[in-house]
Amino acid sequence: MAKADIELKIPSAVFYIEPVRAFIGNLAQSLGFPRKRVADIQLVLDEICTNAVHHGSANAAVGVKLRIEIDAHALEILVRDTGSGDAKRKNWLTHERLSEIEANRSPSSESGHGIFIAKSLSDTHEMQSNEVGGTDVRVVFHLLKSSNTEL
Amino acid sequence: MDSTQLMKLRESSGIKIIEIKTDLSSYAASDLRKVLEGLLVEKVDRVVVNLSEVSHINSTAVGALVGVAKRLRQSGGDLKICALADNLTRTFNLIGASSVLEIYESENSALAAF
Repeated sequence: MAKADIELKIPSAVFYIEPVRAFIGNLAQSLGFPRKRVADIQLVLDEICTNAVHHGSANAAVGVKLRIEIDAHALEILVRDTGSGDAKRKNWLTHERLSEIEANRSPSSESGHGIFIAKSLSDTHEMQSNEVGGTDVRVVFHLLKSSNTEL
Repeated sequence: MDSTQLMKLRESSGIKIIEIKTDLSSYAASDLRKVLEGLLVEKVDRVVVNLSEVSHINSTAVGALVGVAKRLRQSGGDLKICALADNLTRTFNLIGASSVLEIYESENSALAAF
């Protein structure tokens, strides 16, 4: 398959995550990912978009941007937000904040699991500040090297 | 659209049963929290959440279930989960929520556990 890029922009509202989740599921299935891996990809997409909407959408008019790259070997998703708008932690995912979230996460926590899920279920997970003052989250799922290839 | 319409409430022997008929991404998870907190306001103390028709759940929804279960236990009640699909079980296990929530294979077994 030739490499292809897909770009989406959704309003900063959780309502729009579900249709994107359905889209990415259909895409992953079409690319040949096993059923369980499709569910993983959908869950990771849901979690990182939810974080972007809840924590990185001070400028709601800009929305949340997604760039999806596909080729014969992998599905890559980049989710870009515009920051929290809080001057003290404009980029909501500073290293300090990440450490705090990870240290406080427990089975009885009501929140703070999203990043852990994204890290656990993707083949590659990267987070970094972007030039618009927000956070970019990049995840990659390898088609042939998927950690869970069970049908 | 308000997804609370896809969360059906029933009662059996004084136990409230919520049957979820929608996938639980963040939008529906917010509505699930509203439904559960409505039960807390009504002083309901025993709840079973039937997830047999749910094929996706995110950590926001699991967090809502954990939070309400904790609050119910403080007043002597509980919230039990039943009928999880395999990928939902995987999500509960990954987060660790399976060690916090009581999860049963069927609605009848969840009801019998009260």
